[in-house]
Amino acid sequence: MGGNAPMKGALWVCERDIRKFIKQPFVMVSALVGPFLMLILLGSAFGGSITHVPIAVVRESQGQFSSTYLDIVRDQQNCAFGGVSCGDAFRLKDVPSLDQAEQMLRQGQVKAAIYIPSGLDNSLSNSINVAITVYLDNTDPLSAAAVSAGLTRAAQQLSTQIRVVSAHDPTVTLDTANFYRNVLYIEFMAPGSLVQAIFIASIIGGGISILFDKQRGILEGYLVTPLKQYEIVIGVLLAGVIKAMFSALTMLFLAIVVVGVRPMVDTTNFVLLLFTVFLTALGLISMMTAFAVRAPAPEVYQLTAFPINLVLYFTSGAIYPIDGFPDWMRQMSAINPETYAVHALRLLMYKGASFEAVAIDFAFLAAFTAIMIVIATLAFKRAL
Amino acid sequence: MFISTVTETVSRVEAVLDAAVQTIDITKRFGELTAVDRINLTIDAEEIFGLLGPNGAGKTTLIRMLTTVLQPTEGTAKVAGQDIRRSPNKVRQKIGVVSQAMTLDVELSAWENMELYAKYYDVRNPLRRERITELLEVVGLLDRADFAVGSFSSGMKRRLELVRSLVHRPRVLFLDEPTTGLDPQARIAVWDYLRKIHKEEKITIAITTHYLDEAEALCDRVAIVDYGKLMALGTPAELKRKVMGGDVVEAEFTSLPDEAFGALKDSDFTIQIKRRDSSLTLLVKHGAEAVPKIVELVNAKGGKISSITLREPTLDDVFLHFTGRSIREDTGVTRKRFVSSWEGMRR
Repeated sequence: MGGNAPMKGALWVCERDIRKFIKQPFVMVSALVGPFLMLILLGSAFGGSITHVPIAVVRESQGQFSSTYLDIVRDQQNCAFGGVSCGDAFRLKDVPSLDQAEQMLRQGQVKAAIYIPSGLDNSLSNSINVAITVYLDNTDPLSAAAVSAGLTRAAQQLSTQIRVVSAHDPTVTLDTANFYRNVLYIEFMAPGSLVQAIFIASIIGGGISILFDKQRGILEGYLVTPLKQYEIVIGVLLAGVIKAMFSALTMLFLAIVVVGVRPMVDTTNFVLLLFTVFLTALGLISMMTAFAVRAPAPEVYQLTAFPINLVLYFTSGAIYPIDGFPDWMRQMSAINPETYAVHALRLLMYKGASFEAVAIDFAFLAAFTAIMIVIATLAFKRAL
Repeated sequence: MFISTVTETVSRVEAVLDAAVQTIDITKRFGELTAVDRINLTIDAEEIFGLLGPNGAGKTTLIRMLTTVLQPTEGTAKVAGQDIRRSPNKVRQKIGVVSQAMTLDVELSAWENMELYAKYYDVRNPLRRERITELLEVVGLLDRADFAVGSFSSGMKRRLELVRSLVHRPRVLFLDEPTTGLDPQARIAVWDYLRKIHKEEKITIAITTHYLDEAEALCDRVAIVDYGKLMALGTPAELKRKVMGGDVVEAEFTSLPDEAFGALKDSDFTIQIKRRDSSLTLLVKHGAEAVPKIVELVNAKGGKISSITLREPTLDDVFLHFTGRSIREDTGVTRKRFVSSWEGMRR
């Protein structure tokens, strides 16, 4: 008889698509990976409370009142949005001098320094109003806000307690001193975007172009030329690094011109910044090159590369302080090279940090990069 | 007499010393499959040498070993005087390779493609500039030097790949299926350029092909390879003569009873016979005598021949003779078997 009922055709077209969809489980799964990772990572990062923020304490007065104040500070709790899990808000470290506290602040070892001046306990005993000074690392606006809120609350609680135990009512206030110029949240995010620009350049400029070269037989074509294998590997990695550095520096330029990010202008800083970008780019390019040449199929590489980007980016502390992460995520960030890159860039861009301040970051990045170069070289040699 | 023998011996020794390629029991196995099976052959300097065989015969594997991409499982070869196992780097300096895959960078211009290749071989300016100009001129691409290769036709791309492999003045040029995928006109153009290059560069050219007309049109000598083995070797004329001094008779028929076919097959003048649709190809001892006998025999057995021609054997006949099958009958099976085990090895 022939001829389908109206709309039957749509059914066949639909059936074809569904059949193909079912036959490609990998595509199906990877379509879910991205959104699911976003839920877990973003939810855990932003939903967490900022706890265990390291604070330096410089105590020049040893009396009862200042001890009580520090006890109150130690007891401060910070809770997650929704309030189920709470944790100690601060981790105090006694430091002998204000100079040393400042240095720790500059190097990012602590997020704030509490200064208790020498006359504080005496003044309070004599019912004189006093002020405690807090120096804030305001290049991390989220942590700074949490510190400032917690310490102010503690000062108010101390005032209340004094009023209860004595007839007098001296008040304790908190002077907050921003250690740096005010850094906006968007500026806080900018170093992470630089690192992400490097990573995406590694996915596209590094891995994917190698994938194409491998498929088209260009990598094999190299083998009949006098080029040595190590020359091919170095050449490929070097080109990737140049592309990634170009990408990162363009991102920096856009951040400055379009977004209004104001990094410190200083030759030493800029050289260190370039070095950070270079190390990060070399490490990530090597990692993605190794992955690209060893991936069982080009699709596997293309579909997994972007989820890897999400994981590295969100656990790096690029968008939210690591102090606010749950433990599992903190462990991930500890082994994530982007964490160290973001940390170093932030220090260099907003704190005018010295080499010593970023030495640990450099050490980690250098180790990561060295390992990745070895892996990439081995992977590449096998692919050739 | 004595002197001429000595001269002959000396010239043969020289030929061996001068050989562009000499393989010694060269063998490649992929797992259980022997892709190249103890092949011994010599390619003389400045000749165009053809490796002829169907897909999957082992030609490409042989070329890949000679160009140092693959290590032989057994045996070895000398290419441009250097051992491929012991000094692959020296071999690479002296060879040019055009693989089956298109490996030009389509985003870059013809000139840039040439320039980069020249740099790989450390050809420096001003020589580099001269050389690229000269080579692009040879293949008629000089006026397109600054155009992106992506805008080129497939024939132009092939020509560019051809000269790109010559920037460093190699002694031996290896071409793997140089005209596969080209239209007939472009093929003939590539042949012309190859002849021109051969003449101007005084270079040895080794090509693999599964086109008989290509081997016949281009090659001084041809090796027939099948199932990894060397089946025959010689100039096209020699090979044809080897077909037992016979001639080829082609007959079209309107009817041919099995009885008639059988009678032809059993007759004393037939060396080989092949039937395809409504045509017969016979290899016979004395063509001029055989033709009337064939017509007579077929008529006697109730068949009818509509036309009959006598011709010299072609390489196709040679191929049929040495391998027992026509090159066009290339079954997908051999190829598939070869490709899958090849991929297995690459993993």
